[in-house]
Amino acid sequence: MAAVTNPFTAGTWVMEPKPQNIWGVPHTSWFFAMGVGGALFINRALFGVELGRIMGMAVADLLSMILIGIGGLILIGDLGKPLRVLRALLNPRTSWISVGAIADFVFLILDGLWVIADLEWQGARPFAGLPWAGNSPLGIAFQVIAGAAAFIVIVYPGLVLAASPSIPFWNTTLIPLQFLSFAFASAVGLALIFALWLPVPPALLTTWAGAEILLLAATLLLFVAHLIQGSASHATAKVSVARLLKGELQVPFVWGTLIAGLLLPLLLGLYGAFAASPAPGWLAISALLTLPGNWLSKYTVIKAGSYAPFL
Amino acid sequence: MRYGMVIDLKKCIGCTGCALVCKTENATPPGILWLRVVKQESGKYPQVRRVSVPLQCMHCAEPPCLEVCPTGATFQHPNGIVDIDAEQCVGCRYCMMACPYDQRFFLSAERTYFPGHTTPFEQAGYQRHQAGVVSKCNFCTPRLNRGLEPACVANCMSRARTFGDLDEPNSEVSKLIRDRGGYQLYPELGTNPSIYYLPP
Repeated sequence: MAAVTNPFTAGTWVMEPKPQNIWGVPHTSWFFAMGVGGALFINRALFGVELGRIMGMAVADLLSMILIGIGGLILIGDLGKPLRVLRALLNPRTSWISVGAIADFVFLILDGLWVIADLEWQGARPFAGLPWAGNSPLGIAFQVIAGAAAFIVIVYPGLVLAASPSIPFWNTTLIPLQFLSFAFASAVGLALIFALWLPVPPALLTTWAGAEILLLAATLLLFVAHLIQGSASHATAKVSVARLLKGELQVPFVWGTLIAGLLLPLLLGLYGAFAASPAPGWLAISALLTLPGNWLSKYTVIKAGSYAPFL
Repeated sequence: MRYGMVIDLKKCIGCTGCALVCKTENATPPGILWLRVVKQESGKYPQVRRVSVPLQCMHCAEPPCLEVCPTGATFQHPNGIVDIDAEQCVGCRYCMMACPYDQRFFLSAERTYFPGHTTPFEQAGYQRHQAGVVSKCNFCTPRLNRGLEPACVANCMSRARTFGDLDEPNSEVSKLIRDRGGYQLYPELGTNPSIYYLPP
């Protein structure tokens, strides 16, 4: 039955845009941990960005497993019925949470198996005989599938937000793109921090710094594009933008995310990479700033979400 | 068949009796309002108009809450009613994010109206409500199964509510929508709600 134009409420709002208060710190931490964890694994597997070894295990693989595991535990802890968590795997056809939960489990299992096979102990690899160890076809398949799962783990929180039709500020593909670029920027940043203790050749350090600078610049542009889009689209999205730029979220967003989390690291990265050719200390400080910036960006975007008035 | 409801804002006097009877029928705990009545004021003195608008789950034909549910706990009956299987719900509250009408409610912990004391009514009624899951209006499905109308319809003192089959062109709801220009809330979202309002 076709709806007619609403003669009663057209052009007037009874309700104001309502800030969402369902999701907050736990979801921010979940999204942050999953993003950085997934990007660490992909950086190591695809681009060879190593963070050294600890107790015979590759730090990048171990850290990505820990971070994604922590993200998963935060998610489970936030559920109203945590013991029913496996039921969240049942609807991957339409629910991004379901897709993400499956990717989390796949990643944790495959990365865990890979870490075991890759274990070094007293100069030997005790599990090198496992069928998926080293560059065996099964090992490569495990890494490819784990990499795909890690990619999903990075972007699905953004897609969860973007798929919500009732919150116009979130309803954009720019959010998963922000999550993606900031996750990789933070993961490269961790590599730059670890480089303080690792014998990384200056040329490689400059390459990592260049990647970090590009990722930070891309992330900054994505946030600017999101703000412009929000200001120009739905009236409720405009309210969200105003809360970020002038309202109660101004300090964590403008100062915490845009300036301290993106712009300052970008400038420090440029200085550390090119002016001081290269200065690991400056690069590490730049990288260190991106981590709280990444967390705050997610927190502020989540908190800025407001329901559009329907009356 | 698609169940729907028409609410005549000209007849509604804003008594909130529907909200009260909904709580009584469904024994919803404190803070859980499957049905509420908001008041709209427009104009300036002396030309002021005040209208009461009852709100509840819109039982959308294209429900966003159903799509995002990771467990399939939210489902649609063949008669169009959108319902929640509390046994399947994990309490992620993603459906609350997706609902454009703010009509889903999360019971974080068991609550009673009187601190430290549960009335016999609460003891009986709260067995239907689990803590840690999301709930909402189900058009009083248990009453429909007994051949009765939803409680809010049966108890509306001004007969502002009409319940029936939206797919049947000659049903009372279809006639009212057609003849009186019934409209849906937030139709531009494409959710196609099953609750229509008649202009005051």
